[in-house]
Amino acid sequence: MIQHIEIRALLRESPASGFTNLVTRPTGRVVRERIERALGAEDAAPVVRIDFTGVGCIDYSCADEIVAKLAARRAVLVVLRGLADGHFEAIEPVLAGHGRAILLEHPDGSLAAVGYAPAAAALLERLVAERVAGRRPGGTLALITA
Amino acid sequence: MTKLVEVPVQFDERSFDQFAGSFAAAGHDGERLLFDAHAAEWASPYGLVGLLAAGQAAGGAASGAKERPLLTVPVNAEVMSYWARAGFFREAAQLFELHGRVPRTRPADESDVLLPVTPVRAAEDVHSVVSRIQDRASAILASELRLDPKATMGFAMALSEACQNIVEHAGTGGWVAVQSYHWRRKLARRVVVIAVADAGIGFRRSLEPTQARRFGDRWGDAAALEAALVQGVSRFRDPGRGQGLAGIRRYLARWDGKIAIRSGTARIALVPNWDDDVPLKEGLPEFPGAQVLIIIPEQGSATR
Repeated sequence: MIQHIEIRALLRESPASGFTNLVTRPTGRVVRERIERALGAEDAAPVVRIDFTGVGCIDYSCADEIVAKLAARRAVLVVLRGLADGHFEAIEPVLAGHGRAILLEHPDGSLAAVGYAPAAAALLERLVAERVAGRRPGGTLALITA
Repeated sequence: MTKLVEVPVQFDERSFDQFAGSFAAAGHDGERLLFDAHAAEWASPYGLVGLLAAGQAAGGAASGAKERPLLTVPVNAEVMSYWARAGFFREAAQLFELHGRVPRTRPADESDVLLPVTPVRAAEDVHSVVSRIQDRASAILASELRLDPKATMGFAMALSEACQNIVEHAGTGGWVAVQSYHWRRKLARRVVVIAVADAGIGFRRSLEPTQARRFGDRWGDAAALEAALVQGVSRFRDPGRGQGLAGIRRYLARWDGKIAIRSGTARIALVPNWDDDVPLKEGLPEFPGAQVLIIIPEQGSATR
């Protein structure tokens, strides 16, 4: 089972309601705490897909509060989707700075890991080892439980 | 007795130390200050937000002043019109007792003023600034500065982090302004300038509790600026902190931009090839808070 969380919906409930950008550390903290609350629920799924569709800008502070801290969780596999090219400007260096990586799901369903290279490689190995993802005919990885 | 603080005729980052010297010489003994800008012929966004920071410091509780400082406004009609379009008087009216005829022009919603002088006091203000700049700056960054459209998001991020420095570290409010103009003197190219200023506690006091011991005798305004901008140090112990200035640095390195930060008696700059600024200045006239200048030039024909 995969849990689905939409960032835009969380933003609407945050102090930044009315804005579409993930900026400032307090906003990032509120959004992450809501995600963690959802992950902490008793019926929480082993995989959570966090959808960034419609999010404008992500700054370094928000990337650190949300992405880097979620990447540190071991109990659940966090998969990001709906990211625009510009979002990686903040996400990649923040993850690299922490020595962490996170999963990214492309629109076609294929998976990649972004961030610190050794952590990214380990994350992909874990996906296969835990049988959360499998190889598709083209060789790319995709979530099995999708 | 009222003490005079002269506003330079050409008021920008180069003449700022002259202004800071006049401000420091006027002292902070509770006497009322008169900021004299009547002869001003031009002010950059950096000059305008810096003047507001001085007004904030001169009228604040720490100054001991019983009355708001005075400001004689420029007599030149064109200069007045620009200062009004840049949103300066809307903010200045809350800090200074203004003397002279202030036009009723509203801050610009178009033209080269990408973001009029805007107060930054809380995280919500940063959201508002980023939203406004994204709507306005995308076209200008791509068409006039020839930046890759993807760079627009990086620009918004840099702006966000520069503003957050006020919210998280200054201990008071500040101002931001963004403008695009043709920089004939230095580059003969268009530039976009972000100017941020506050009259808060500054980098040295912000970092002192966690960093002073590490630097020992070297500790001071210059060491604090070096720690923040070059080493990515933050006053928070959380390992994720200090990302903001590091991110700005990366963004500017990619687009050949410049950042300069003045705080207290020092100024640090990451200087691109097109500029002849010095990387670090110490022993400058004391000025409260922090003043940040970011410049992104029009891109040349070289492929990035």
